Amino acid sequence: MTDAPHKMTARDVSVFYGEKQAVKNVSIDIDMDRVTAFIGPSGCGKSTFLRTLNRMNDTIGNARVEGQITLDGEDIYSSGMDVVQLRARVGMVFQKPNPFPKSIFENVAYGPRIHGLANSKADLEEIVARSLRRAGLWEEVKDRLNDSGTALSGGQQQRLCIARAIAVDPEVILMDEPASALDPIATAKIEELIHELRGRYAIVIVTHNMQQAARVSQRTAFFHLGNLVEYGDTDNIFTAPREERTKDYITGRYG
Amino acid sequence: MNNARATQSTQAQERAPTDWKTVAMQRRIRKRYRAERRFRFFGIAAVVLSAAFLAFLLVTMVAQGWRGFTRTEIMLPIDFPASGMMVERAQLDTAGADLALAGAGLENAVKSAAAAAFGPGGESYISDNAWVSVRKAIKHDASVLDRKTQMRVPASSEVDQAMAGRGTSEILAAVAKLKNAGLVSRHLNLDFLKVSDSTDPVAVGIWGALKGSLLTMFVTFLIAFPVGVLSAIYLEEYAPRNRWTDLIEVSINNLAAVPSIIFGLLGLAVFLGSWSLFGYRVGPLLPRSAALVGGLTLALMIMPVIVIASRNAIKAVPPSIRDAALGIGASPIQVVFHHVLPLAMPGILTGTIIGMARALGETAPLLLIGMRAFIVTPPGGLTDPATVLPVQIFLWSDEVSRGFVEKTSAAIIVLLVFLLAMNGLAIYLRNKFETRW
Repeated sequence: MTDAPHKMTARDVSVFYGEKQAVKNVSIDIDMDRVTAFIGPSGCGKSTFLRTLNRMNDTIGNARVEGQITLDGEDIYSSGMDVVQLRARVGMVFQKPNPFPKSIFENVAYGPRIHGLANSKADLEEIVARSLRRAGLWEEVKDRLNDSGTALSGGQQQRLCIARAIAVDPEVILMDEPASALDPIATAKIEELIHELRGRYAIVIVTHNMQQAARVSQRTAFFHLGNLVEYGDTDNIFTAPREERTKDYITGRYG
Repeated sequence: MNNARATQSTQAQERAPTDWKTVAMQRRIRKRYRAERRFRFFGIAAVVLSAAFLAFLLVTMVAQGWRGFTRTEIMLPIDFPASGMMVERAQLDTAGADLALAGAGLENAVKSAAAAAFGPGGESYISDNAWVSVRKAIKHDASVLDRKTQMRVPASSEVDQAMAGRGTSEILAAVAKLKNAGLVSRHLNLDFLKVSDSTDPVAVGIWGALKGSLLTMFVTFLIAFPVGVLSAIYLEEYAPRNRWTDLIEVSINNLAAVPSIIFGLLGLAVFLGSWSLFGYRVGPLLPRSAALVGGLTLALMIMPVIVIASRNAIKAVPPSIRDAALGIGASPIQVVFHHVLPLAMPGILTGTIIGMARALGETAPLLLIGMRAFIVTPPGGLTDPATVLPVQIFLWSDEVSRGFVEKTSAAIIVLLVFLLAMNGLAIYLRNKFETRW
């Protein structure tokens, strides 16, 4: 454990879709140099909770969030927080690869461009190249940056989406089941990439795959029916869970 | 409950394996193939029927309409020195040439030349406007005034009809004689595309109506496209889902189904009426019969069509693209204008052009706002009196004179070519902007 202040904290967070409560009083800390995994059966609220961390739930009409979430000590739901800047600082990678139907270069350059991060064309090219390198995609696409991003394979598309998120220089990257639509080889590449990105960004990953959580994360949170059942070091969760429900889930008794 | 299930399962066990070769089974298969063949037959019949109607329409139009692009011309011998016309040669090079020639009695000189050449009543063989082409020839080469010469001038409507075998026996005989002498013939004449309405079917043209249509469409597009697309974007991307937006949606759908003549009444009441609101004038006084008012009225009519098409196109953009853009910190307006709108553009443009094509073919609302006037001068601007292609067709089809029939068909050809061009544009734009995934 480090003594550094937590990158993000959530205190008593509840999310409602109309009358239905999808997340119940969740409190959690996210640290800079760790990968945090959210696991749990379908419909347990882990993706919903993830989306509250960069306020993507705002786009859903009847969603309501209670409790407090902070980024570097600042309440992200306060009126002073600019949601556009928040989403640049807390990037997101989605379940299904969703590159823009534009060139590979434009996919990565879009974020820096709208946030004015590049001073010149050369600077922008440099950002794109660096982001693609970090996402482990550079070698595969460096000769065809003008090809359409949608023409890549599924795994390459997902890494392009990660490069796109990295390009705006976020502090936290949220990944919502980033490998669930990919084959095992592409999945392995994504996991390898998560290892490499650790330390540079705080990473939160939602996954259905418990082996994946065990492989990539240092901290694991187990959600069930909207409750955070158990949160702790990944090793402890998988070898010595304190809660009966966690144990049942990770041993495959339900899920 | 348990009992019933048990009985069911024993029954299931007792069922013999399905025999696919029984007579009943064979009959069922034959019946299925018959139904298939019948359906194909009906499908082909429907396609053939509609193709036949279309071919019939096109063939009739072209067969009747091609004569509209030609003109019967008659060879007129004129002896200028004998006509007694007094023209100052110096004036022929100035701007006053038209006036000088008119003042010298050119029109009468041409008429008497016709009477002299074709016998008594011969002046009825040439068009009332024949002297205009003579004037053109004189201005082109003034030396003809010094000699006896021959000139091809437009023939009258009667001669024109006689060429097609219609008319009294006297004129038919006279024209047959002229024809044998090689003095009367038909020629391609694109004046039809260059001049405007006239009372003489030989002299009418479509240019005024075509220009009126272009100006009207311009106004319609300028109003309906931005307003329609922006409404669609607001309703799809920004508006909250509540009773009010439901009401707006129902109203828009209903507006799209309102008969066009009612939009004409609305245009008449709003744009040409007093613009009055509780007795106070709230808008400018607009001219009757003008492309501006016609365009505004048609814009009202096609706006709901554009809104509906645009909303559907926007709805069809995958939500994952919005998520992707929002996820890297694009603001809602950036999401719309950088990502959603470009992807929805092909659908929006297709819907818009279909709406514009509908507006182009619309007659009823324009009759109500006064665009059915007899207009000889092509409109010079949006506020000049104008008419449009379909109204012109309607007006000509109402004429008794036989010569207008082929002009009506010719005008229909022009309108159809215009429509085809617009649909071609729609297809081109859709393919150009379509994103390949």
